Amino acid sequence: MIRFESVSKSYPEGREALIDVSFEVEAGEMLFVTGHSGAGKTTLLKLVALIERPSRGAIEVHGRNLARVRRREVPRLRRDIGMVFQDHRLLMDRSVADNVALPLVIAGVPREERGKRVRNALEKVGLDGRGKDAPAGLSTGEQQRVGIARAIVARPALIIADEPTGNLDPQLSEEIMQLFVSLRQTGSTILIASHDLALLKRMKQRVVVLDHGHLIDDVPASEVA
Amino acid sequence: MSTRAAMASSVRHTRLAMWRHQHVWCLRDSLRQLLRRPLGSMLTIAVMGLALALPLSFYLLLTNVQHLATALGDSQSVSVFLKPDVTADAAARLAASLRARADIDAVVLRTPQQGLAELAAMQGFGDAIKSLPDNPLPFVLLVQPAAGAGRAQVEAMVRDVRALPQVDLVQDNGRWRSRLDALVALGRRVTLLLAVLLGAAAVLVIGNTVRLDIRGRANEIAVQQLIGASAAFVRRPYLYEGAWYGLAAGGVAILLVLLLEGVLAAPVRDLVASYAGRLRFGGLSWATLGGGWAIAVALGWLGALLASSRHLLRWRT
Repeated sequence: MIRFESVSKSYPEGREALIDVSFEVEAGEMLFVTGHSGAGKTTLLKLVALIERPSRGAIEVHGRNLARVRRREVPRLRRDIGMVFQDHRLLMDRSVADNVALPLVIAGVPREERGKRVRNALEKVGLDGRGKDAPAGLSTGEQQRVGIARAIVARPALIIADEPTGNLDPQLSEEIMQLFVSLRQTGSTILIASHDLALLKRMKQRVVVLDHGHLIDDVPASEVA
Repeated sequence: MSTRAAMASSVRHTRLAMWRHQHVWCLRDSLRQLLRRPLGSMLTIAVMGLALALPLSFYLLLTNVQHLATALGDSQSVSVFLKPDVTADAAARLAASLRARADIDAVVLRTPQQGLAELAAMQGFGDAIKSLPDNPLPFVLLVQPAAGAGRAQVEAMVRDVRALPQVDLVQDNGRWRSRLDALVALGRRVTLLLAVLLGAAAVLVIGNTVRLDIRGRANEIAVQQLIGASAAFVRRPYLYEGAWYGLAAGGVAILLVLLLEGVLAAPVRDLVASYAGRLRFGGLSWATLGGGWAIAVALGWLGALLASSRHLLRWRT
């Protein structure tokens, strides 16, 4: 599903965000990427989402070498990825349902079908009946749920989330993480970057640890304690 | 149909349906964005509408000046007034001799009686003519120069005719008409130039409005691109926005021109009456108005295309 092979990423100013990183994620697997601030978590996710390109090494997603993806092909590949952001990135001038429906609009899904799928996604994140609400009227946790509903509505094969609980209190953080765990049942592969090691331990999923761009540990779910 | 052909047809159908759903959404979304800021949208539409109404109004004016010129006389005709003592036989002989010239197509002889009857038919002259003791009008020859004759040839012919002993006065209608035609041609050129300049202004107004809109919606554009929107999809609502502006501004321009026609209707009716109905005053045709409207939509779309092509590149992720 995802394969990193000796991947390095350096920026023009000389900073090396990732150095010789290699790992694999199976289809349907859930993987947490952790490390301190600046360890390279966000860069790793950006490489998977084709927001950045690696300086060296090869990345394969769905069996496709991302180095060979042409610029005009990027939007189509991103449609197969559900993205969740730390700051939700909701459109505040649109309703909850309109926010969730956006990936379906981009994919050209008919209106009636969109309505059905949006209701289904909102139900999965516990926001059924809130479609007409304005995002500004929701709590931070609810806003993040809307972000997650938007990420899963198009039934992507891969979901990536960058610090999805970064702005939430511990109880809400655990709720959101449990939501991601439950989404595994849909068969999606899930890749989450989080610096909250204590929270990740409670989730009992595979964890990859980054430090100054190096992958220093890859802990299987069974060994997370 | 083979399985492969059926599959290809199905894929094409699906893509077409997706494309249609995207366009319907973009069309609605762009209209919703305009309606969210009614005052700003109305101002933009009013500015563009005024800019488009000006050349249309000038065009209306020029068209009617042309009608006026046509009503006042044929383009190249020459009126030859004979001396009062020229008899009917002499006038007929002169007409025949002029008809024989290669630079003349036709000569019509108007008797003093015909001239008097024509005057009497014109509004306001009836009573004055009845009070005349006898007919003071001379024989008149209406000379039509040969088709395709240049201005120099016509003037040479006029000089020859003017030198004839039976001729009292020669009125060369073509001279003032050619001056008027030149003025109308100049007016058309100025109107065209004005239309181009004001059209460019309309494009800039829409371009600037769309540019500001793109800046205000930078977050939305970034989110769309991150979740897989193509450049065409991101740009589409702005193109529709420009087209909506053009459509509304075109409507405003047409309303203004129709209003102008309405305001001018009463004085023009009086002018037409004074020319015994020979003068025709017309508004712009529906085809012209429709064409103007289509151009307005195209200008709005073009302004949005220029702005979006330039400014959306900044947020490419």
